[in-house]
Amino acid sequence: MIDLRLGVVDAPASRTGGEVELLIAGGGPAAWTAGIYAGRYRLDTLILAGHQPGGQLALTHAIENFPGHSNVSGQLLADEMRKQAESAGARVAEDQVESARAGEEGIVIATTSSEYTARALLIATGAAPRKLGIPGEDAFYGRGVSYCGTCDAPFFRDRRVLVVGGGDTAIKEALYLTEYASEVVVVHRRDELRAEPVLRERLLSNDRITMLWSTTLLEIRGDEDSASGGVTSVLLESVRDGSKTTEPIDGVFVFIGWDPATKPFRGLVELTPDGAVSTTGGVRTSRPDVFAAGDVRDTDLRQVVTAAADGARAAFAAYRLLRE
Amino acid sequence: MGILSENDAREIRKILADMEGEVTLTIFTQKLECETCPESEMIVSELTELSDRLSMVRINPLQDKGRAEELGVERVPAILVSDGSHARVRFYGLPSGYEFSSLLTAIVDAGRSGDLVESATRGFLDRLGIDLDMKVFVTPTCPYCPRAVVLAHRLAASSERVRAEAIEANEYPLLSTKYRVQGVPRTVINDRYYVEGALPEIHLVQALEKALADEKAEPGEIDLVRYLEPPSEAEAEESGPE
Repeated sequence: MIDLRLGVVDAPASRTGGEVELLIAGGGPAAWTAGIYAGRYRLDTLILAGHQPGGQLALTHAIENFPGHSNVSGQLLADEMRKQAESAGARVAEDQVESARAGEEGIVIATTSSEYTARALLIATGAAPRKLGIPGEDAFYGRGVSYCGTCDAPFFRDRRVLVVGGGDTAIKEALYLTEYASEVVVVHRRDELRAEPVLRERLLSNDRITMLWSTTLLEIRGDEDSASGGVTSVLLESVRDGSKTTEPIDGVFVFIGWDPATKPFRGLVELTPDGAVSTTGGVRTSRPDVFAAGDVRDTDLRQVVTAAADGARAAFAAYRLLRE
Repeated sequence: MGILSENDAREIRKILADMEGEVTLTIFTQKLECETCPESEMIVSELTELSDRLSMVRINPLQDKGRAEELGVERVPAILVSDGSHARVRFYGLPSGYEFSSLLTAIVDAGRSGDLVESATRGFLDRLGIDLDMKVFVTPTCPYCPRAVVLAHRLAASSERVRAEAIEANEYPLLSTKYRVQGVPRTVINDRYYVEGALPEIHLVQALEKALADEKAEPGEIDLVRYLEPPSEAEAEESGPE
């Protein structure tokens, strides 16, 4: 059975700009769910889904905790949500928000090629993978350093790879990588995992996975002139006694958390010191005509189901603002 | 139907209904030493049944060497997508996973009458003084990849100076090793300029134009990222020291 992804990347001509009642920035479960609700409320709705529609969800190999789906591919779930939003009446453009400011007629949203004016804005841009910020990370990006297991795992068949992190994403990706790599070494700065207990159990019972507890990564080393031009080793430090060791490794997958994608919205709404959108009552921001939903806001649980719930609430709040 | 489910077929019919012109899919396949040729051929053949505007030409490069050489097709399976006027938009490898959506996009694009690129890009293409050969390495499980593939293909479809190939990295391990591919999407231009990840059209075109004009650049591989617009001062301050 061959997996085929349907769909078409839209042409620049479809990114027309103009006026819209509700503009939803983002392409993950919060944005699609808001689109489903806003469409059914008959709001004139445009979703700017960015350059990678589906968001983090599309990068997730399997979702096991979305009610009604005991095991579904993240891509499939994201595709279904998008279709549902489109059939509810929301329009979608695969354009990315570059900036947003308050104008006289509403919120003015600029993308790389167009400008939109919206009476209400929903920020649902999610979060981007956090970098380690260590030597070698940028130099070997695409040469053994990766933030996407589903994309790059096939290049590490029968190789030895390192996974950095201890949360749900890190553990899911480590488990996925065992389908390709001969050995997956998980480096975690603490001596226990933040990940869900069910994932923890699977990790610890997998004989292809080796745990390096209380350890941090100091440097990624490689040989730019070799045939593969890739990563060859890493320098590790023990949190306990500060001792340093070199570990031979072919690839480094980094999953140490996510940074809210709020850059275009600085100055428009209040952000927390961590860069998330400050919200009250769930989805309200410091501006009455701007809402926030999903991983981009200051929330304590970043899951598909909570993002979807946020999206529904935000669409409802926008509806009340615009029509009541 | 074989590979496409009834559900897939129904959706693809809807997608292809937007096509305004005729589109030809030229597929190069052979029986010898080509594991993914039969399935690639089935996909293309089933696709052509879903629209009257779509037709298929099948070429066996072992039997018709001249045609393969003339078009510069060096690997199988290869799929060329065009309105019949050129052979610059290419896929190497089985178009599965996300690569299938890139193929659908190339088909719809070839059948479209409007512009496929931004107006600023049009200017860049008109100014091009050399030919560009773009290779985009992908995997079928990479959701970022269609962005990079579609952009390269649209540049190729819009200029006689540009040829763009999407290459399934797993299927051509020697080629992937030669181009040092360990992450996707990886775009390599004229075997010299490269970029990791999918850049927005405007950014790629600006960086590429600067890189091509840079006479002081050292020989060897050049990462296009260095030619991207530097962040504004405010942004640089906020991101802090690296």
